Amino acid sequence: MIVCLALLLAAGPRQHLGPQVPAEVRRVVTLAPSLSEIVLALGAQDRLVGVTRFDDDPRAQKIPRVGGYNDPQPEAVLGLHPDLIIAEPAPANRGPVEAVARLGVPVETFPLSSVEDIENAITGIAQLLGVPARGKAVRDQIEQARRDARASALSKPRTRALLVFGLDPLVVAGPRGFAGELLEDAGGENAAGASDLPFFRLSVEAAVRAGPEVIVLCGIEPPAGRAPIAGLEKVRVAPLRSTALLHPGPRIPEALADLAVALGR
Amino acid sequence: MKRSAAARAALAVAVLVPVVLVAAVVGLSTGAGSLSLRDALQGREPDATVLFRLRVPRVLLAAEVGAALSVAGVALQALLRNPLADPFVFGLSGGAAIGTAIVTVASGTAVGAAAASAASFAGLLPTQLAAVAGAMAAALLVFTLGRARGNLDPARALLVGVVFNSFASALVLSVEAVLRPDQMQAVSLWLAGSLGYEAMPLLTGAGIALLLPVLVLLALAGRMNLLALGDEGASALGVDVGRTRLFAFFAASAAVGIAVAFTGLVGFVGLIVPHAVRLLTGPDHRVVLPASALGGAAFLVLADALARVLFRGLGAEPPVGAVTAIVGAPLFVLLMRSRE
Repeated sequence: MIVCLALLLAAGPRQHLGPQVPAEVRRVVTLAPSLSEIVLALGAQDRLVGVTRFDDDPRAQKIPRVGGYNDPQPEAVLGLHPDLIIAEPAPANRGPVEAVARLGVPVETFPLSSVEDIENAITGIAQLLGVPARGKAVRDQIEQARRDARASALSKPRTRALLVFGLDPLVVAGPRGFAGELLEDAGGENAAGASDLPFFRLSVEAAVRAGPEVIVLCGIEPPAGRAPIAGLEKVRVAPLRSTALLHPGPRIPEALADLAVALGR
Repeated sequence: MKRSAAARAALAVAVLVPVVLVAAVVGLSTGAGSLSLRDALQGREPDATVLFRLRVPRVLLAAEVGAALSVAGVALQALLRNPLADPFVFGLSGGAAIGTAIVTVASGTAVGAAAASAASFAGLLPTQLAAVAGAMAAALLVFTLGRARGNLDPARALLVGVVFNSFASALVLSVEAVLRPDQMQAVSLWLAGSLGYEAMPLLTGAGIALLLPVLVLLALAGRMNLLALGDEGASALGVDVGRTRLFAFFAASAAVGIAVAFTGLVGFVGLIVPHAVRLLTGPDHRVVLPASALGGAAFLVLADALARVLFRGLGAEPPVGAVTAIVGAPLFVLLMRSRE
């Protein structure tokens, strides 16, 4: 988890590496599950030829795996003869990604830290794939879902919540990252307080002082035989229904619904 | 100046008991945030929860683990007649690490998850159990392979332990390749040695479980003194060297296994505390053993307090195993030089 947090923290602007992207892209390899989901949401399933071992979308199940987001294997990538690689910029995958670009495959990287980043990635990938209208439709769906969530959140007082992404050590979502933004949309109040980081480490003492009404476990199993956070044994613990909030991509409407359920609203 | 054993024991108590108390106060009053002791004692939240349910259990855990590692360190240094011996040279750390890594990998599979939930239903924690089992298995292996002509050969046992530790860390590194990033983070934090927040019943259980090996070692303290004379010398004075080694070895391993199960590999405590305590008490194990328990408790409680304030502004906390080594290494050199 920390590794993919580091990835989010290090996210720079959109970047291009290697030769020019061909006008008509036929074979795409994605190096993060959320990027695969963007390609799938744009209706380009038949052009997706390689994904990471972390991809869990049923439509990507039969597509060859090329490693993880931190350790993509250049040989596996090149073996698929892609004409475009889409990655999230990160220190950990920089070596292999640059190697692939040097060997003649165009690479486009998109940061996915905030909702705005995600929407820009959807627009950018839609352009690369030659389906800008689909991109706009997906963005509109996201914006509509956010408006609806905010409207229905008004009916009740906000629920103080911690979005927990790691337990050893304790890692929570800050208000500025996409997870924190969606928490606000869904009627939550981020108990972790103000921070510019999308995710950050919180001491257990600070978590107790934050006084959350609900602890939302994001992609982590509740530990066997003990409360997830010591000192907060009486606080309600809610898991997420799906992985939508873990994948900063087109599943934002689903993530908002998951959050509403987890917050008990 | 020669002092009698009783005088040295009295000196140790006079120095170490206040040190432990000061360490406890420091441990309870430092943390990630500021705490009003008055509010906490009057039961006002969240200060009461922070003090009684976070800091008290954590200080207790540090004290238990520090005492266990130090006592085991004293025993192993006596058994091997080697001042460099520490609780982890015998492959115990490697064994515990393998146990933990296996459980972490298995918890990702259906069978492992079922076993883990069954174990937690019975009130047991699978990771901790695996660490103890791994440490004990490694101890058994080193003890078996480290024997020559039916007796534990210190040099041979040390070599087997060193080789086994390298083997184990290679195995753990390989296993890490298939772990999810968050699992990997947890395993490496464990390998570095870090104190968490355990529940009081578990801490009480660990304290009681630690008493048995510590009492065995105390009972053997007189015989450990005689081991310094060499195997033949000790035998001539009526010590059953083989049995003394066997019992002391497994008692020390058990203490280390229990400590490791809670905190992972907190290095340096078992090496530095016995040496520091000996400066105060002299070499008599009847005094060194209990004094090291006190010294080890104080040392780890203080190291943990330091770990909690070191990067407080960043909301982060280095693993206590890093702090014990950062503080311990220069302290160790100072001790060595002051001895000359």
